[in-house]
Amino acid sequence: MHSAGTRVQDHIGDPFSEEPILPREKLEEVFNDIQSDLRYDHELNGCLNCGICTATCPAAHYYDFSPREIVQLLWTENLEGIYDAMQEKIWSCAQCYTCAARCPFGNSPGSLIMIMRETAIKHSMESAQEVLRPFSRVMLKLISTGNQLAPDMITPDHFPDWGPNISKVDAPLKLLRKAIPMPTLNTTETAWEVNLKTSVELYTIWEMTGVLDQLETIDENLFDVISDIMDEKREDYEDWLEDQEDEDDD
Amino acid sequence: MDTKDTSTHLTGHGSEWRDAGLSSEQAQRATSWVEAHVDKRSMLTNKDRVEDVRDIMWQLEKDGEIVVHRVRDEHKPKMVKTLYGWDKKIPTTQLWHHKSCGQCGNIPGYPTSLLWLMNKMEIKYLDETDQTSCTAWNYHGSGIGNVESLAAVFLRNFHQAYVSARAQGLPDGYFYPLVHCGTSFGNYKEIRGYLLKSAELRERVTKILGKLDRLVDGKLLIPEEIVHYSEWLHVMRDEIHNHQEIDCSNIRSTIHPACHVYKMVPEDAIYDDDVLGGNRVAVSTGLMDTLGTQVIDYSTWYDCCGFGFRHIISEREFTRSFAIDRKVRVAVEEAHADVMVGHDTGCITTLDKNQWIGKADGKDVELPIIADCQFAALVCGAHPYKIVQLHWHASPVEALMEKLGIDWKTAKTEFEAYLKEVEAGKQENLYDPRLMITSGPGFKKIANVS
Repeated sequence: MHSAGTRVQDHIGDPFSEEPILPREKLEEVFNDIQSDLRYDHELNGCLNCGICTATCPAAHYYDFSPREIVQLLWTENLEGIYDAMQEKIWSCAQCYTCAARCPFGNSPGSLIMIMRETAIKHSMESAQEVLRPFSRVMLKLISTGNQLAPDMITPDHFPDWGPNISKVDAPLKLLRKAIPMPTLNTTETAWEVNLKTSVELYTIWEMTGVLDQLETIDENLFDVISDIMDEKREDYEDWLEDQEDEDDD
Repeated sequence: MDTKDTSTHLTGHGSEWRDAGLSSEQAQRATSWVEAHVDKRSMLTNKDRVEDVRDIMWQLEKDGEIVVHRVRDEHKPKMVKTLYGWDKKIPTTQLWHHKSCGQCGNIPGYPTSLLWLMNKMEIKYLDETDQTSCTAWNYHGSGIGNVESLAAVFLRNFHQAYVSARAQGLPDGYFYPLVHCGTSFGNYKEIRGYLLKSAELRERVTKILGKLDRLVDGKLLIPEEIVHYSEWLHVMRDEIHNHQEIDCSNIRSTIHPACHVYKMVPEDAIYDDDVLGGNRVAVSTGLMDTLGTQVIDYSTWYDCCGFGFRHIISEREFTRSFAIDRKVRVAVEEAHADVMVGHDTGCITTLDKNQWIGKADGKDVELPIIADCQFAALVCGAHPYKIVQLHWHASPVEALMEKLGIDWKTAKTEFEAYLKEVEAGKQENLYDPRLMITSGPGFKKIANVS
């Protein structure tokens, strides 16, 4: 029975029970993944609990979140606490790096949190899946085109809280984009026109660095959609290369 | 009488934290030291183990491990001083525009103003289609991606900058990359540091760059300097001032410096003893000062904007609360600002778009928000809509134009008439559109590039 318990109890186990929900091996596996990142030793150099990071942290104003606490958990290798923080707290960080700029030890709590977020994804934690659900649209755009944001994504339906002035000139989006005096920007589906060759190169990077595996772990359907789009783009590019060879032969 | 301050509730300090129970007066006294030092340059410099990664870079090149893309004399560099007084070379011409997805997608007047200023000063540049986003916005927001993917994207885009002039029959290294986005700028600098320090990372990405045919003599290409457009504006500020047509001495301006520009790899940010006593990052402030505005300091200068990377997409309650309470309202009520000027994509979007919703919570504050290059273009006579594209800004930029003496209503009518010409295929461009494809599908060799 954990209904009245803390998150630690929910995710790690009842401290009064001899049978933890999560075996020690799992906690160690998660921590080892964090610790083995090549950035870890660079970004964690010690901590005297001075709290300058939390004092300056924007997320600490609004969330139950403290970069000092995260650094302490890692520094003291508190495996239960680390796992617990990965259920919710690490997603509060605004990634502004104010903590890193000010830490007298040269720690970067923001970077350490990125390692923890990556690890949460690798282990397919529920928190990661939930937090990343609204990212599907962005991910689809970024992975398949090479652009994270596009004009057709900024609509009143998606941003009702931005009010009526997304554009103060009443004209079709396509026309307004065509009126931008940079020819690369006369687009609506991407922020700028991205060459097909460029998108295909980026996709190779995603493949070779394991990013597509991350995506599959978090959202299998999105992974399938993106794979189909990119297979098609690759075929188009290969067709173009073949045409070039034919032209050269002629 | 107990004057204990209970107006704020701090969270996130862990279960062992206990309220000290100080009165307002005691709390004020306890934090006075912090207030005297906070936001000052010494907050960032009082550290051990600071190193200039460029030293490692030169050594690796000497050892034959990497090739350095140099800022050459032909780029007409200007020297500046960074946080620790180190030199940084800022190229001023032959620039390859590394665009920002957030700017191009949402604030297009940002890059168009920059290119317009470059045309005005006859700066050579290239804006092309063979460039991806840096992917760091997505990474910092979602955690999808990793240091290896970020490094490969960085090296791919910068290699493309290096070879891009081939399309015009010019030598490699002719164009030098100029990064528009603050997050790209910070991320690339951070990644350059990891690459220089980790042989393992270099080995891993060399395989990827090799597959993409993006090595130079079989080696990784590392840029000598990673340069943000605001740094270019900073070193060009006097020349920009020479083109100024509109007096702006009546404008009270506030600066929102971007976290990823000066808090990420802070040792590389520009500081100038003549700009706010050298206590704050010099870019944007130096420009607004040179243009003659009254730059007003304010107490939350150091705060971020609230963008949050993830939050702007899926948790804007945080974003809008922070943007309104910690930035916009302070600039209006404390600094009585006419404008807040920034130098990064996410900050401009956040501060500009999140004002309207404040009305729902009785926080009816309004403040024009624009980028430094937009302000500079505006006072140098750029068209507010055709070039500066101010119709994409939700904040009351019209009030700023009125204070600058710009007849925005007439300008808007002109722009609406211009849209009809665009519809008829008669659009005006800042450069020859044939230059924007340098290889791959759509590329055609141009006989004479002027």
